Amino acid sequence: MLPLEKNTTLRDLEVKDAMRRQFTSLPGDLPIESGIRVLIKYKVGALMITDKDGLPIGVVSKTDVMGAYYAAMSLDTPLDQIMVSPPLFCSPVDSLESTLETMRSRRIYRLYVTKGSSSERAIGVVAYPDIVGLLYRYCRGCDQSLVNRRTKKMDGGDALRFRVKDAMTPSVTSFFEHDSLSEIIEGLSVNHFGAVLIRDGNSTPVGVISKTDLILAYRRGISLEAGAGTILSSSSVRACEEMEFIEDAIRKMIFSEVHRFFVYRNEQQNIIGVLSLRDAARLRSGSCLACLSSRIKVGSESIA
Amino acid sequence: MLTARDVMVSTFHTLSPKFSIEEAAKLFKTASELEQRRIFGLIVTDQSGRLIGMMSMYDILLFIRPKHVQVWGMMDDINIAGLMEEICSRAKSVLVEDIMTTDLITVTPDTSVMFILDIMITKHIRRIPVVEDGKVEGIVYISDLFFNLINELAP
Repeated sequence: MLPLEKNTTLRDLEVKDAMRRQFTSLPGDLPIESGIRVLIKYKVGALMITDKDGLPIGVVSKTDVMGAYYAAMSLDTPLDQIMVSPPLFCSPVDSLESTLETMRSRRIYRLYVTKGSSSERAIGVVAYPDIVGLLYRYCRGCDQSLVNRRTKKMDGGDALRFRVKDAMTPSVTSFFEHDSLSEIIEGLSVNHFGAVLIRDGNSTPVGVISKTDLILAYRRGISLEAGAGTILSSSSVRACEEMEFIEDAIRKMIFSEVHRFFVYRNEQQNIIGVLSLRDAARLRSGSCLACLSSRIKVGSESIA
Repeated sequence: MLTARDVMVSTFHTLSPKFSIEEAAKLFKTASELEQRRIFGLIVTDQSGRLIGMMSMYDILLFIRPKHVQVWGMMDDINIAGLMEEICSRAKSVLVEDIMTTDLITVTPDTSVMFILDIMITKHIRRIPVVEDGKVEGIVYISDLFFNLINELAP
């Protein structure tokens, strides 16, 4: 990881700058099956679970639903039996830096935002894609951004720019088509991954299985012993080259449906790592060193 | 007093829960052509013809809407190669049963139109299946209800 603990673009930003005010919640007495339908329909990673008065009592993420699948729980099980409780909150005026740190140390993907005590209604949510989106907007407005440089046909400055390889996780967990869904769930849980690469008998990458694919398999009643190949969708492996500019990769991730790209070296078959939105958020300093160096020029306290 | 039977349409098309979203999209198109009206909602029935869900225009639009769209803002460089192709590809693997609406409100053929009107307004729905003995007999559309009622206002 890059040595950028201080002086980052996020330094002066607060949760309220990045949070989304719309989030999805469901009452805890609804069955898991309803929860899955909402997760899929609204393309969200987690649901806020509420009590009879609409107050937050927990969170059910795709990971929790996947765990229920693994434990062979009935789809009729109420959501409040698999939720993680209590939900973790932050305040709209917390710094984004500290929020990212909480997300990292607690190994969670999102924090709900509440104005006062945690028993109050939530007013929003902040997750890795929101933070990356904010960084992207920030960078895009900068003279040094790739977009602006390309439009103005400016040269140089690329040395300052982060590449995919600077932020990626340099290892890949992969499974074979014949591996069972329960083995894949074990692999995802142990490594805290959102998806794994699937290879055929010749070790050629043939697809990706994500938590979303697994909770759909759960809803459709597919056996945990079924092979990975049975739920492999037609979509190909989304990959990017390790030397690609991170700015380009982030844009593609945000605007398409994926939370991660597999990273290849030289040829697409040679997958060497994964770049996730979480990795990108941890870069913290946008997509190049330009703003960092300009800050050093502006004031001495920035160098600290 | 008019009832559901008087205002419902009794020719309608049904989706199978196992249809992919791509197949559902096709049926929205062909049903609209056959009925000579734009169809914005279809009912979903199981093999025995029992009503198990509904799929509306909104469900499909939600499916198409990209994630993280709140980030797009006023950007003008949104030109992501393959975005629609990606959505089309997913439309082949996601099924009607994965995203259909299952908490349904139904009426019987004898339900008064005033009661139906009240449901449509308070629940913000535009079409209600008419069910008798577990079998779907027809659909009441808000537009048909409206034209029946203005006929009463201005005979």
